[in-house]
Amino acid sequence: MKQAHRVVGTSARRADAVAKVTGGARYTVDLSVPGMAYAFVVRSTRAHAAITGIDRTAAAASPGVIRVLIGDDLLAAGLTPYYGHVVLDHPVLAIERVRFQGEPVAVVVAETKREAAEAAELVDVSYEDLPVVIDAQEALKPDAPVLHERRGERVGDEGMDEGEKGLVGNVCAIARVEWGNIDEAFAGAHLVVEGEYRYPMLYGYAMEPYNALAFFDQGDLVVFSTAQHVYMVRRDLARMFHLPLARVRVSAPYVGGGYGTKSYTKVEGMTAAAAFFTGRAVKLDLSVEEAMLTTRSASAHIRARSAFTADGRLLGRDFQIVMNNGAYTDNTPLVNSKTANRCFGPYRIPALRVVARSVFTNTVPSSSLRGFGAPQGNIAGELQMDEAAAKLGIDPVELRLRNLVGPGEEFMPGKRPLDADLKDDLRCLASSLEWPGTSIGRSIGLGVSASDAGAYPTSTAAVRIHSDASVTLFTGSTELGQGSRTVLAQIVAEELGVALETVGVVNGDTGVVTYERTTGASRTTTITGRAVQEACRDARQRVRDLAVQAFDLPRGDIEDIPGGIRARGRDLSYGEVIEKWFGAGGEVLGHGAVRRAEGFAKMPPFYEIGCTGLELSVDRETGQVHVIKLTTVGDVGFAINPALVHGQDAGAAMMGLGAALHEELIYEGGQLVNPNVVDYRVPRFADIPDDMVHLLAERADGSGPFGAKGAGEGAGNTVGSATASAIGRLLGIFPHELPATPERVWRLIREAERRGRSQ
Amino acid sequence: MGTREIRLRVNRGERRVVIEDQTLLIELVRGLGLVGTKLSCDSQVCGACTVLLDGRPVSSCTTLAIEADGKPVETIEGLADGTKLHPLQEAFIERFAFQCGYCTPGMIVSAKALLDAHPEPDVAKVRHWMEGNICRCTGYQTIVEAVLDAADQMRSAR
Amino acid sequence: MLRRFDVHRVTSVAEAVALRQRFGEDAAIYAGGTELLLAMKMGVARWPHLIDVKPIGSLAQISASTDTLRIGATATHWDIERNPLVAEALPALAQLEANVANVRVRAAGTLAGNLAFGEPHADPPSMLIALGARVLLEGRAGSRSVAVAEFITGMYETALAADEVIVAIEIPLPGKNVRAVYVKFQILERPSVGVAALGTVRDGRFVGAPTVVVGAVDEMARPVPTAQFAGADARDAGTLEAIADAARAAVEPIADLAGSVEFKRHLVGVITQRACAALAAEAL
Repeated sequence: MKQAHRVVGTSARRADAVAKVTGGARYTVDLSVPGMAYAFVVRSTRAHAAITGIDRTAAAASPGVIRVLIGDDLLAAGLTPYYGHVVLDHPVLAIERVRFQGEPVAVVVAETKREAAEAAELVDVSYEDLPVVIDAQEALKPDAPVLHERRGERVGDEGMDEGEKGLVGNVCAIARVEWGNIDEAFAGAHLVVEGEYRYPMLYGYAMEPYNALAFFDQGDLVVFSTAQHVYMVRRDLARMFHLPLARVRVSAPYVGGGYGTKSYTKVEGMTAAAAFFTGRAVKLDLSVEEAMLTTRSASAHIRARSAFTADGRLLGRDFQIVMNNGAYTDNTPLVNSKTANRCFGPYRIPALRVVARSVFTNTVPSSSLRGFGAPQGNIAGELQMDEAAAKLGIDPVELRLRNLVGPGEEFMPGKRPLDADLKDDLRCLASSLEWPGTSIGRSIGLGVSASDAGAYPTSTAAVRIHSDASVTLFTGSTELGQGSRTVLAQIVAEELGVALETVGVVNGDTGVVTYERTTGASRTTTITGRAVQEACRDARQRVRDLAVQAFDLPRGDIEDIPGGIRARGRDLSYGEVIEKWFGAGGEVLGHGAVRRAEGFAKMPPFYEIGCTGLELSVDRETGQVHVIKLTTVGDVGFAINPALVHGQDAGAAMMGLGAALHEELIYEGGQLVNPNVVDYRVPRFADIPDDMVHLLAERADGSGPFGAKGAGEGAGNTVGSATASAIGRLLGIFPHELPATPERVWRLIREAERRGRSQ
Repeated sequence: MGTREIRLRVNRGERRVVIEDQTLLIELVRGLGLVGTKLSCDSQVCGACTVLLDGRPVSSCTTLAIEADGKPVETIEGLADGTKLHPLQEAFIERFAFQCGYCTPGMIVSAKALLDAHPEPDVAKVRHWMEGNICRCTGYQTIVEAVLDAADQMRSAR
Repeated sequence: MLRRFDVHRVTSVAEAVALRQRFGEDAAIYAGGTELLLAMKMGVARWPHLIDVKPIGSLAQISASTDTLRIGATATHWDIERNPLVAEALPALAQLEANVANVRVRAAGTLAGNLAFGEPHADPPSMLIALGARVLLEGRAGSRSVAVAEFITGMYETALAADEVIVAIEIPLPGKNVRAVYVKFQILERPSVGVAALGTVRDGRFVGAPTVVVGAVDEMARPVPTAQFAGADARDAGTLEAIADAARAAVEPIADLAGSVEFKRHLVGVITQRACAALAAEAL
């Protein structure tokens, strides 16, 4: 039942609207300071090799060059040259060895970018090739070349994985989820669906490539960058340069796309090192090609079995997952763990066994990408529901309804019970797509998922109420396009009862705003939003305190009203209270903090729901897929700004469609074959489904402000599995590998014809 | 040959700039402080760098600056009239046709060229014309709607 | 950011030829630069001198006589798409031009430049070859014309001599009753298969043999032997399949990110059938 709200719940105009449509928005790539020098990275041409020598003489003598830096320089200077979210194994610049083609080996700093680039070609690196391993299964073999004989220091994070047990050879992370008696479950099954599934390596393609500007300001390190998590980068840089956190400032202006790809430290270390060694402000801009050699997402190879009764109830599920996480650890233990949690789906499962392993290979390191293991898990877990339905002769929607857990039901032992009505969501989705569909040559696929939000609930916020009753919000949340500046401002406007236009936002700058753990994992509305509410509550408390003193009022007599207080029948605005207390000018500061307690004590802080389906047709002669309709159900508890939720759902669904049909990073013998947007195919205008529908389910069942839950990833999580299931029902064979390119679909069609099974 | 001086009209101003033959138009534009035009793919396929050169949309990342000699160049900064936004800009705002905003200047400039050439496009025309502009955030639908809205707006204003 | 080079603006073809002679391999003809500058950016080629032929007014012209369409070397895809002479005489070419690359490439890129670069994954060559188009060249020894079919000699290779400049493309206008269609299959930035088909269908039969040229899939566009289909029933599935067979046999597809040899060969057959069916649909 929706309450009446003034500002939240409305599709308020974006706070950054005018800036972005006029070209006035500033991104890190647009920043410069006088006397700035430019950096250019020298990258490894080998996938796996020992570095036997780096000859910098010619480069250093090249016109305009200030310095040529290598990894050994950082070591020699006593810096900590390794970084990493969980394990400090990622060298800022390669030390002794390179582990993937494209790995930074040296950085040239020069007066102009052209001079730096020209000098970079003169850096002569000699290598002694080592055996290369690209495929994760190959990397698991006992005779595979080992990438990390010595593991880096474990700095840990959130305890999301098993720690160091079992991390032998190239195994980077292991996660296990187990309950019930799995052997019994399968022994007693009426039907066992068994298969192998593959999800590709993807590139997020945020259109602004990684870049940074770094300088030392009287001993303090200042870095502007494209970071989503400015406080995490601050911590990494503080560790690297042995500085206290208070002496490192990381600031992210508008970020040109994140999607998780800009989580954690990327080029900040290199740029800061360049500033450190030259004493100059240094700008480092990567090209898109270089960005594609910096971060990708993990691919997955999953062997799955699901056991069902005759009437389609799950008895047990068994997943063996192997993910390819590339050359360094980054946040792999988290992604690995989440894939393990997100593969089996929000169903009642009496017996479960999941073993997920992520494996080092000589490829670009993998890190976060929208979905964070759910898309990978779903290609096995959700697709097997459809495969089972086909074999049992049960409607796949009905099959899901029989197994889905209900609101308030626990489906992962010890974790927060489900905070969503998935059955209702699924029915809503099915209805929108006119399930089961009757047209020949068209097919509908749909999927449901509930991701245990990975967001650790640490967040703070501050609000300053000025003497004219306008408000400034301080938040460490970065604006990536998701609309955090707008949503958080709406919460402030609602809580304090002021006009949205009078709320200003200062964000994403560790030197100015208050601590925010991360911007990602769909956490901002829920977790940061709660911190913002607490800050507003605190501010109102202070206003009441001031009013007591300034107007000599009894505390009990003061009532909060929009924009101020009421006491003894008289309304006073914030400004009036402030001015009266100070005598002239002044302001009130409110601070709020949330942590893993109270509303957020139970993990996960919320479940991010994915409920997306589509209707498609296939050109049987070419294998080309055409999407007729796509519907997302945004089960977000409460949409602070419905238009922004729709935007996130549309964007996530489109990204999901990219992976489902076209996107795939391809390696050939150690070289990434398509590190550019010409050969890595992202969705275009021509790929828009004929009809796109974005629905909202708002039951105020979340732990966030006004019952909100997170959005931004969910809508894409089942697009891959839904696409595969729609194709499967149409052709009579379910694809087990994404992307379902025309050639793959064509081969399936031929296979189906051979088996004589198609519609 | 070293450097060359060219004269060009950028948005509403006349500029005289010293460039080299291999200077790219995007380097010239951004070098003038007009940083709304963005570099992304650097290979003509994404459209983030779109500017209008003599009324035609071009990839400024793969156009020589000398081509602007004596010609009008329009960038995103030239669309608004002081604080009065162009109907495309208003429509992009109303329709939430952007999120991170990085593709937006190129997208809007490209759409302006479309509406200059085809004041009453249909959906297919919009998609075809804009096919060379990539957006990674929005899923494109709201952009199509914004362009059509702007076309309607501009038609009724005539 | 590009390596340093000099741009020489010339005002006559003779001047362009002279500079070609003077600089040899160090010079390239430059008009739109859409292929050239990209190649330089990617580091696959380098020319210290670019000869800008855009100031030569005669090269921009598109003109038609009763039996020939002449497209100047600096005419852009954008110009050709919109030119009323092209729309009237060869609507299929106008449509092809309207779908080359993206609008920005069309705004600056030239048809001549497209041919000169010899890009295998290109749209125009198959249509131009099917039309019997010729490239008009001028060099130190004077002018000559070369059939487009002979002008492109391999991947990124043409018959353009070191001192030569493309002046125009001349297309003999097909007869009044001849129809032309171009159908392509494209998923990535460039087409994977493009089929140009020309012919006349009257009372359901081909008048003479249809002309079919398959492009974008092999090192260069390949004409398909179709003599045996003269007078064939253009709407018969067997005829279309036989033409598709001939097309598949006429190409050696190059495997790449868009597909394997086997898949591309299959697509050649499919797209050829669709092109010929489209031709039959334009029957008299």
